[in-house]
Amino acid sequence: MAEVEETLQRIEAHGSVAGTIVANADGIPIRSTFDSSKAGKYADVLRHLTAMARSTVRDVDPQDDLIVLRISTKNQEIMVAPENSYLLILVQRFERYARA
Amino acid sequence: MLQTIALGDAQFHSLIRAIAALRQTTMSDRCQTRAIHSTETGVQTRSSVASSTQTELQDHVTTQFLQDPHNMLHLPGLNDFLRQIEAPVIRELVRNAKSHAFDGFQVNWEEHNQMVVCLHQLQHPRALEQDLHVTSVSWSCTGAVIACAYGRMAEGDWSNDKSYICTWNIDHGGLNPKQADLVIDVPTPVTALCCHPKHPALMTGGLYSGEVIIWDTSQSTDPVVAQTGMSADSHREPVCQVTWVPLQNKGDFGVLSACSGGRILLWTVSAEQGKCVLKVAFALVQQQVLSKSTSFKGQGTSPVGVTSLDLSPWDPDTFLVGSEGGLLLRCSLSSQTPAAVPSECLSVPLRAPAVFSFRPGSGPVHSIHCSPFHRNLFLSAGTDGLAHLHSLLQTNPLRSIRVSDTYVFKVQWSPTRPLLFAAATGQGEVQIFDLSRRSLRPAATIDPGGVGHAATCLAFNCQNPGLLAVGKTDGTVGVWKLSTDLTEQIPTESHLLEQIANQVAE
Repeated sequence: MAEVEETLQRIEAHGSVAGTIVANADGIPIRSTFDSSKAGKYADVLRHLTAMARSTVRDVDPQDDLIVLRISTKNQEIMVAPENSYLLILVQRFERYARA
Repeated sequence: MLQTIALGDAQFHSLIRAIAALRQTTMSDRCQTRAIHSTETGVQTRSSVASSTQTELQDHVTTQFLQDPHNMLHLPGLNDFLRQIEAPVIRELVRNAKSHAFDGFQVNWEEHNQMVVCLHQLQHPRALEQDLHVTSVSWSCTGAVIACAYGRMAEGDWSNDKSYICTWNIDHGGLNPKQADLVIDVPTPVTALCCHPKHPALMTGGLYSGEVIIWDTSQSTDPVVAQTGMSADSHREPVCQVTWVPLQNKGDFGVLSACSGGRILLWTVSAEQGKCVLKVAFALVQQQVLSKSTSFKGQGTSPVGVTSLDLSPWDPDTFLVGSEGGLLLRCSLSSQTPAAVPSECLSVPLRAPAVFSFRPGSGPVHSIHCSPFHRNLFLSAGTDGLAHLHSLLQTNPLRSIRVSDTYVFKVQWSPTRPLLFAAATGQGEVQIFDLSRRSLRPAATIDPGGVGHAATCLAFNCQNPGLLAVGKTDGTVGVWKLSTDLTEQIPTESHLLEQIANQVAE
């Protein structure tokens, strides 16, 4: 558990990370820096999107695979790193006034 | 080693003989299905109940979290997953932080149109012949149908000709601007109209004779569902405003009507009897509404004529009333104070609804509208050509904006932009003001043309936010499509609205 925490802390240490969520394949957050309802929402919504992104990548080129899905929105950047049974969601916010 | 093995007999049936046999015994048969009987029936649900359930993720998640400190160790593969994923993720994070892609890029999800365009000019030929004015327009709850009420104010007073209510369906392709989809004949001029907020076919209207009628446009035989009739309960003066009020029972609506005789009545609809049943009655009487700062000659029990009414969307108990003398009052539906006027022959006792009075204007208040974005703000406009922005908490207006040099007949907040409102003026123009701008000039002016005809009513379409309907005294209703900057919120708009609402009036 300490290792898990350490790894997550190393990731979060990069400035501008607003929060992280580790979720299982069913979209239930396991560990999150956001409050539970928000984390649940992120995890639930993003697992479908990630699954679709992954199948798109594999459709285009079966040898290829999805590493990280990045969504740039008006207010923040959301990154999702999927794997078979887990999902790591990162939210980054920049101080730049108008970021995309 | 090669060996010979004797297998059993193998038999080959002659295929040719089999086919020949088949050919000898052929039969032909035909069949035909009997005529199919079919019947058609239509089924329509008369009442529907919608209910939905949703499981909360909450409990599930908290239990997960609760077991966390112990479970995390046991979750298979979590460690490996994180270890594997760490490096690529950190790489991405760093790349993100340094990336300048999309800097300054603004996404355009909807197409922008810069111009305000007139989509349709709707007219009803018979109304034009009779020189009727458009007295009220209202969009249906689905935003597809516009209902227009006609009547005429001849030389300052209403005439008693029969008039019409016409509806046009804007959405389907076969719109004929010269011919209404549905025309309802009404015996006297219609002075107010309001479409039901949930039921697309119901609408209620107030007549010059004081009656309040509810129509159902889906019934082709007789659209009248209920009416107040000329009973002792109903108004004696022309009804200035009708509006639907949500009642205690979820889903039930009543009709609140106000007339220039100072009565405000709340009706419940009983469709089976075809009548409106009076539920609550209010009477506005001079001595009960005046604050100490104002004084009127001839105080006493003379009624205060109501010229406009609006229900607050935030608080179903509060409604605002504007009077002929310029009074602006905040009233409560649950007020129990008895009115100073005896309730002769009424089935319910008369009550005085006024709770708070604002600084009076200098002429009849023609229109009041509560802001759909802030619970304390409302606009009022009257014959002084100004639109006053009031807060419910203060007597003096927060701002007064000069709309036109003549009367302002109707003012309404935009349903999509918190700081935008439109005002229909006596000169025939509709001025649209944007409170976020410093300048006092309107953000846009819609001039339907036709000099000398006043714009008497306007209505924003809540479902289709770009549409605005304007009715004029020459009997035409114009449907306008607004430009994008009049319909899309600017980023700091809610914040500005809060700031304006929190100002203290001088």
